[in-house]
Amino acid sequence: MNPAVGLVALVVVSVATAVIGFYGLRISRTTGDFYVASRTVPPWWNASAIGGEYLSAASFLGVAGLILLSGTDALWFPVGYTAGYLMLLLFVAAPLRRSGAYTIPDFTEARLDSRAVRRVTSVVVVVVGWLYIVPQLHGAALTIRITTGLPAWVGSVAVVVVVCLTVVAGGMRSITFVQAFQYWLKLTALAVPVLFIVFALMGNGSAAVAPAAVNPTGIAAAGPYQNISLLVALLFGTLGLPHVLVRFYTNPDGQSARRTTLIVLGLLSVFYLFPTAYGLIGRMFAPELARSGQADAVVLLLPGQLIGGTAGDLLSALVVAGAFAAFLSTTSGLVVSLAGVISQDVLGGSVRGFRLAAVISAVVPLGFAFTTDSLALAGSVGLVFAFTASTVCPVLLLGIWWRGLTDTGAIAGMVTGGVLCGGAMVSGSVLGAAGTPFWLAQPAAWTVPAAFAVMVVVSRATKRRVPRTMARVMTRLHTPERPLVTER
Amino acid sequence: MTRVRVTAPLSAARPATLSREAAEESEVGQLFVRSLIRTQLRLAIVVAGGFLLILCAFPLLLAAVPGLAGARVAGIPFDWLLLGAGIYPVIGLSAWLYVRTAARNEVRYRDLAEDK
Repeated sequence: MNPAVGLVALVVVSVATAVIGFYGLRISRTTGDFYVASRTVPPWWNASAIGGEYLSAASFLGVAGLILLSGTDALWFPVGYTAGYLMLLLFVAAPLRRSGAYTIPDFTEARLDSRAVRRVTSVVVVVVGWLYIVPQLHGAALTIRITTGLPAWVGSVAVVVVVCLTVVAGGMRSITFVQAFQYWLKLTALAVPVLFIVFALMGNGSAAVAPAAVNPTGIAAAGPYQNISLLVALLFGTLGLPHVLVRFYTNPDGQSARRTTLIVLGLLSVFYLFPTAYGLIGRMFAPELARSGQADAVVLLLPGQLIGGTAGDLLSALVVAGAFAAFLSTTSGLVVSLAGVISQDVLGGSVRGFRLAAVISAVVPLGFAFTTDSLALAGSVGLVFAFTASTVCPVLLLGIWWRGLTDTGAIAGMVTGGVLCGGAMVSGSVLGAAGTPFWLAQPAAWTVPAAFAVMVVVSRATKRRVPRTMARVMTRLHTPERPLVTER
Repeated sequence: MTRVRVTAPLSAARPATLSREAAEESEVGQLFVRSLIRTQLRLAIVVAGGFLLILCAFPLLLAAVPGLAGARVAGIPFDWLLLGAGIYPVIGLSAWLYVRTAARNEVRYRDLAEDK
């Protein structure tokens, strides 16, 4: 691929992101604007922004790569990512918006009336956020290395710098503009090249190199346990992701939070058709990409390989732009939500503290990214989902729906889930991909039930600690805010 | 360009909170709230369960009917079409059903809470 193509695409996306960010700065003036855009974003914008933020390196590059490697087994990834939003809609969206809290720690503190729970939740949220930023930076490093030939670290550093600039400048308000733009950029960047490729393949009548069912590598297919465990992680992990949750506070009320989620589901469903198409086309027409260890780059390489020439270069530039939009949007969403948590808990909640916290939240994972190797992108993000599903998810679900939850139970459950799942992740990376037993490689199927069980049992044992404010908080979470338009 | 100052609209300023507070205070009000929570939880579990059943049915269907997975529709293998595209309409339909029913439950709750 022509190295200039990748660079131009990178610069254009970064500049566009910064410009929209600064445009947003003009209307972001209050502290509320900084944290949650003052909850005044209309559903379509908000839904595009949620989609833009959610579709990360794993979705843009990783899903297609994994499908190329493991075929129909990997189709559970996009399905799980989308169905996770269904679970979010069913169990979390409206009550969380009605809680009126800014961040997940705000929510747990209000619900359980306990500073200790708040601190534990904050730690968990920051860990989740950092773990999730690292694969984004790995994705950026991979993209820069493959498309421009520059050293890989340039990609990670570029992402961190652009994110810091936009977040420090405008906070959540400008981020909402940026994210909404980036959803549509990502969709275009995947859809246009894939359509061109399909037409080109049909036009010149080229025959498939291999049938879709043939495994291009010697890696064994996943068994039913792995698929189920993965689905558990994705279904329950989504509803605990900090950058996803903070988005719901930008809806005016609970009912509009639900409508927004409905639109998001539509946007995600349309989006995931395209990585799936890349994976399928890659498997049939370019299976050698899987063997050369470049599976994660299949989305970047396919247009150049199957079309070539100037058209191939232009389409590659579009894909690279989309990929950078993915790294930038997810990272900035995570940085905003982490900065919200860190600044409120450590730095007093001022706008200045928020800016400082934003820089901290972006630079620390950069250090992690330099010191760790990139695994398969979709796989490492899958582990982050498993961690979220074992920690934040139980406290949210039980906090919203069960009156018996106590602060002691919540802390015990979060610690259990965090230690079990974190332990599995650490031992998995120590043992290496080949030496890890399957139940350690995909821990969600046992860590999530364990966290729920500990939370319920300990809460039962400490019944006296159910907070006195419980009835009032539960009422607030579940009753509608204002007279509904008659929909009978 | 004019600068628009945006301030946070607090739902507390709205008159509807009168009924929320009334609901919080009285015993009857708490009864209504509990029943609303139960109804919404039941709805969420039913929708989630139904969706998961359909989700599990897809691979089982492919395994149970020999030759189905290998069949081709417009050149695309059927198993890819079913798992890669066919599940999304099911997700969308479940979500739409849920949003509609949840809103209706809330309307019913409001009628009860305000009539008393």
